[in-house]
Amino acid sequence: MKRLINILGVVLIAGLLSVGVAAAASLGMGTAKLSAGSAVVTGCTSSALTATRNVDNNGNVTQVNVTNVPQACADETLAATLENSSHTSLGNASTTVGACTGGCTVTLTGFGTVSAANVTAYAFSLTQ
Amino acid sequence: MRRFRLTPLRLAAGIAIGTLAFAGVAYAASLGLSSKKLHVWSQTQTKGTCNQTSTTAFDTYVQQGSPNSVAGGTATTLRIDGSTGAQDYAFIRFDLSGCGIPTTGGADSAALTVYVRTAGNDTISLYPVYTTWSESTLNWNGLGGLLIGTTATTSFSGATTGTKTVPVTADVDAAIKAGTLWGWELRTTGTDTVVLGSSENATAARRPSMTLSYEK
Repeated sequence: MKRLINILGVVLIAGLLSVGVAAAASLGMGTAKLSAGSAVVTGCTSSALTATRNVDNNGNVTQVNVTNVPQACADETLAATLENSSHTSLGNASTTVGACTGGCTVTLTGFGTVSAANVTAYAFSLTQ
Repeated sequence: MRRFRLTPLRLAAGIAIGTLAFAGVAYAASLGLSSKKLHVWSQTQTKGTCNQTSTTAFDTYVQQGSPNSVAGGTATTLRIDGSTGAQDYAFIRFDLSGCGIPTTGGADSAALTVYVRTAGNDTISLYPVYTTWSESTLNWNGLGGLLIGTTATTSFSGATTGTKTVPVTADVDAAIKAGTLWGWELRTTGTDTVVLGSSENATAARRPSMTLSYEK
């Protein structure tokens, strides 16, 4: 019984050490000093921003406009996907949010030839 | 030094240590992926149609030869002529307020239909109007108070009589976002007279109409 407890103890210690070493390695800390802690990673906004789109005379989407993008989102990548009723992508585009004062309107172009009549949803992402 | 012997217990311990180490690496990898900030959201659109007939149509024509005349507002036809000193311009618009489309919506497709009663060898061009006008008061002298696009949105041939349908999606989409559709000025540089049916025409099929599919 004592032997079994010893082995289980070794297993537990080894497991915890391996998790810590692996985590430290992924953070690029190597053998340097390591301090533990936690921090909340927050995006530039948590709101579902509103978008509109423009069409040409043939009814094809020419651009998507996302309004009231916070200034804090400057330099982040805003991507949009046009989806049909099955949530299949009909076209996508992305751009870097520029610097502006107050709420920005970000315009995305280059979706290809997509009929607005087929677009029933827009999917967006903001990534740093 | 004691010789190491592989017993069942030691074998089990080795497997357990390896498993935990693998889990640790996977955990670290997941930390690496989540170090980028990400915000995702979606927006669903509602589709609808709101076709327009003479009930919501307003139209008139103005005459250079009678610059104070507002008779076009009640006429059963709309005259278009580009003759120097005797030009006639027609105006057509629809009241979309009954459609309930917010300014965040837009047109998926829109097409204007008119009926050519008297043909002429002219191309009729449509210019978007951006400011308010009334069919009961607009005359030639009032044109200066209107903001009209400098580029024609679309055109059709007036060379034959009958129904003419032209796409006006971009203009209607822009008008929805602006809040009001002020319609189009129809004019030509040709010197023939082209006559269209107006919303007051006795024959319903000869009145202007517009199909509209939208999203909101």
